[in-house]
Amino acid sequence: MTWIRGLDRLSLAGLAVLALLVGAALAGTLLGVGGAQDAIVGPRLAPPDGQWPLGTDQLGRSMLPRVLAGIGTTLLLSAVAVAVTATASTLLGLVAGYRGGWVGEVVLRGVDVLYAFPTIVLAILVAAVLGPGRSATLASIVLVTVPLMTRLVKVAAETVARRDFVTSALISGASHRYVLARHVLPNVAGTVAVQGTYALSVGILVEGGLSFLGFGVQPPASSLGALIQQGGIYLLAAPWLLVWPGMVLVAAVLAITVFGDGLRDRLEPRDSRALK
Amino acid sequence: MTVLLHVEALVVEYGSGDGTVRALDGAELVVEEGATVGVVGESGSGKSTLGAAVGGLLPAAARTVAGDVRVGGVSVAAMTPLQRRAMRRDQLGYVFQEPIGALDPTMRIGRQLGHVLRGQGRAAVLDWLERVALRDPARVAAAYPHQLSGGMAQRVAIAMAMASEPALLIADEPTAALDSEVREEVLDLVFTLAAGAGTAILWLSHDLPAVAKRCSRVAVMYGGRVVESGPAAEVLVAPRHPYTAALRRSVPSAAGRGERLVPVPGQPPVLTGAAVGCAFAPRCPAVLEPCTVDRPPLVGDLDRDVLCHLPAPVGAAR
Repeated sequence: MTWIRGLDRLSLAGLAVLALLVGAALAGTLLGVGGAQDAIVGPRLAPPDGQWPLGTDQLGRSMLPRVLAGIGTTLLLSAVAVAVTATASTLLGLVAGYRGGWVGEVVLRGVDVLYAFPTIVLAILVAAVLGPGRSATLASIVLVTVPLMTRLVKVAAETVARRDFVTSALISGASHRYVLARHVLPNVAGTVAVQGTYALSVGILVEGGLSFLGFGVQPPASSLGALIQQGGIYLLAAPWLLVWPGMVLVAAVLAITVFGDGLRDRLEPRDSRALK
Repeated sequence: MTVLLHVEALVVEYGSGDGTVRALDGAELVVEEGATVGVVGESGSGKSTLGAAVGGLLPAAARTVAGDVRVGGVSVAAMTPLQRRAMRRDQLGYVFQEPIGALDPTMRIGRQLGHVLRGQGRAAVLDWLERVALRDPARVAAAYPHQLSGGMAQRVAIAMAMASEPALLIADEPTAALDSEVREEVLDLVFTLAAGAGTAILWLSHDLPAVAKRCSRVAVMYGGRVVESGPAAEVLVAPRHPYTAALRRSVPSAAGRGERLVPVPGQPPVLTGAAVGCAFAPRCPAVLEPCTVDRPPLVGDLDRDVLCHLPAPVGAAR
């Protein structure tokens, strides 16, 4: 874990917040902190107090387990989607960047088509095709994050492919597959890691937006977006319904972005901020 | 001596349409087995393109318009990918200008060298590091490229290039990025290792005297053609091509104390197609009428080839 030592305080704080959120989600879903998220336990729209730390919602469910479950759903969906994105983009980007020529053009134009859609329109389109739910959310996040990551991996792979050590490896008789796996991939791994963190925050926002519009995670399941959507209805009567998930969403996106910046400074020093 | 490398009337262009740049305009070069050949020319004269063409390593944007490159009698262009891979592995070694860039930054030196040595084990890796005169081979083997100095990295790169004992080592300005103190050591190393393994050297450089000092033969490139070639000492002392002569007069170390250096006037050409006449005509002090309209023919006698309408006679100083 030597890379953690090179991070500045801001990114470490981001990492800490992220760890806290993951811990909270685990505590809620695995340890059952705050009770069951879908049980009606008290009066409706009760403000936060000792018994219900975050208040209750319009059906009398405690908000604490619902927010914890929401964090879990949102983070899990985004993380799985980003893993899929990272795998797909790395494969496509490596081949496109290393091989170049018409293969590279086809891949690039392909992701350009996806790039042309506004994020939320694309997500709604996917939800319309697949039907609202988790799989639609997952697919949306992947389709939204694949274009940028593929492009950046392609550019990185292209740069690496022109470096002398690749020529050197080819001269020594290495196959293209070997060069890709042993020389190009490790050299673009930093780009993938950095873009992965950014994609994670995009994923959280896409999940939020899609669930907010009613195309994402469906009730009674909880996600940050679904909670915000329901909270919006009771904004004046019970602002805590909106405030908790909203704050968590902002904190998560901010933490991930800040951490991603730190990671980029660490892994791609040449592209980093010149002024500190 | 058998011919190892034969570059025959090679024409290579980059780009297409209006943006076409002709990097090689009918280059001719012969390298015999075990020979040491220095290719001298300014930036843009086509020497790096020539070096890349030998390994079939031209970038995708380059087109071979005409001519041929034969390594060991086999045309590189006609090889199947598998044959080309085998040819590169068994016959070629490259040393690049930028030593750090020739090493993968994500891999320890020992592992990189180990891959080239094809599983001969750690002892072979350490042995090679010792052969390129690196102190403390064990420490170098455990280091990443960015932890090495330029000179050390270049020694590692030389070890990697020579590890397969290739028939031909192509060195593209191998010392340009190094400290002047390290340069001679690195060159000594390259030439000693090559002599020991019977490896021929194709040294691409812009430094005519340095090349002439170490190489048996010199080829001078200008505007994508080899304008003069011959035994190093003769080319340096009695150049037959006016460009070689001009190059020699512009070298600081060749001039006596108090003597003025004579720069070559004008700029090297950027060809967009085949040169109409002699590419050097606009800068030539002895330009004749045919120089601007006819491509100069190859005039060869007594192991000396020159591309000029009015070559200086063999042996006469220009």
